[in-house]
Amino acid sequence: MSESRYHRPTNLREALELSAGEESVRFIAGGTELMLQLRPGAEPPPMHLISLRGVEELTGIETEGRLRIGASVPLTEVAAHPAVADGFPALASAILVLGSRQIRNVATMGGNLCHASPCADTAPPLLVHRASVELHGADGIRELPLEEFFQGAGVTALRSGELLVAVLLDPPPPGTRARYLRKGRVAMDLAMASVAALVHLDRGGNCVEARLAAGAVAPVPMRLRETERVLADGGFDPARLTEARAAAEAEIRPITDVRASAEYRRQLVGVFVERALGELFETGGRGE
Amino acid sequence: MDIRVSFELNGAAVTTSVGPRERLIDVLRRTLGLTGTKEGCGEGECGACTVLVAGRAVNSCLFPAPEVDGQEVRTVEGLAEGGELSPIQRAFLEQGGVQCGFCSPGMVMSAVALLEENAEPTDAEIRAALLGNLCRCTGYVQIIDSIRAAASAAGEGGSR
Repeated sequence: MSESRYHRPTNLREALELSAGEESVRFIAGGTELMLQLRPGAEPPPMHLISLRGVEELTGIETEGRLRIGASVPLTEVAAHPAVADGFPALASAILVLGSRQIRNVATMGGNLCHASPCADTAPPLLVHRASVELHGADGIRELPLEEFFQGAGVTALRSGELLVAVLLDPPPPGTRARYLRKGRVAMDLAMASVAALVHLDRGGNCVEARLAAGAVAPVPMRLRETERVLADGGFDPARLTEARAAAEAEIRPITDVRASAEYRRQLVGVFVERALGELFETGGRGE
Repeated sequence: MDIRVSFELNGAAVTTSVGPRERLIDVLRRTLGLTGTKEGCGEGECGACTVLVAGRAVNSCLFPAPEVDGQEVRTVEGLAEGGELSPIQRAFLEQGGVQCGFCSPGMVMSAVALLEENAEPTDAEIRAALLGNLCRCTGYVQIIDSIRAAASAAGEGGSR
């Protein structure tokens, strides 16, 4: 390929056709990550950029039955949508601590997931809500639990030429509450560690189900299944929170890097697990 | 490969050619000569390059130039009318919100986006709106004072 090209397809079929058979193809939605790689002085070899902004199937948020968030919806719009703000407040709060307003106005729902950063802020709340992703490719459509979508740092289950079209969420049952806690070195920094916690309480305040996920403490955003087992089926009890904290600290796999040491990340996750669960059980007990 | 783009820039229709990997900031500064928009970090951290696209603050250093086609873009050059500074710009001068001035166009554009969405922001809302704009000289207090002053002047019947 001698020079770069920029394509602006208007529908999914066109976008998938454009990508087929080309060697160096990148889909671009908001572009807040990709444009960094293309900036003057850091230019990779020529490539075909296929813009997803005009692709109709990737736009919009649908609320009939399952919540369906189009992959190209900017994060500002996702967080502001009443179905997200009311039904999935942990996701809305995760978005509102992601980057700056300028970034959130452009960066998209799909982009935050496809970049597959271990610290992607939208991932832990989506994991505890058991979100799925809808993938479209030349071979058809498939739906995958988000947990299986993340395969490694920067690596997803997307096949060549395949596109993430939407994120799907089942409405949580009554009595469900969720929280997202995270810490960066300063505001607007990437998370050093993050935790999403979800509990489903019955009328007596007993925990029917608990789901937890953590970010920036493993190669992929991960469900904390050992911690969940500790919490399954039972009421609020400070001793169980201590046990849950220990389980979370034991099952994560943090590394030391420029943002934080592994020890500090482990400490943060423990505190977040205990704090998030404490808050969730407390609100549940008040029958809020 | 050049791409023709037509868009509205500060209220006027513009048609120009952009490259497939060009950034909006380079179209504004180099092609169109509007150097009010500054490039600080070039990676979406500092906000000096903030402009409004469809009324929303964006980092023009990360915005793909081909995507301005059909959009409405506003830069700091579009704020003054008939040689008169806009009330937000005036407030920045009066409240000491400008020192070296490099961050000011981005700060002002973030403030414009905020006040158009929320005419009476609290200090916390002002700070949240400016999270993506860094200043290395005045500090932030005077800048927040400037935006608060512009908001209350507008609330008292002055036009922004």
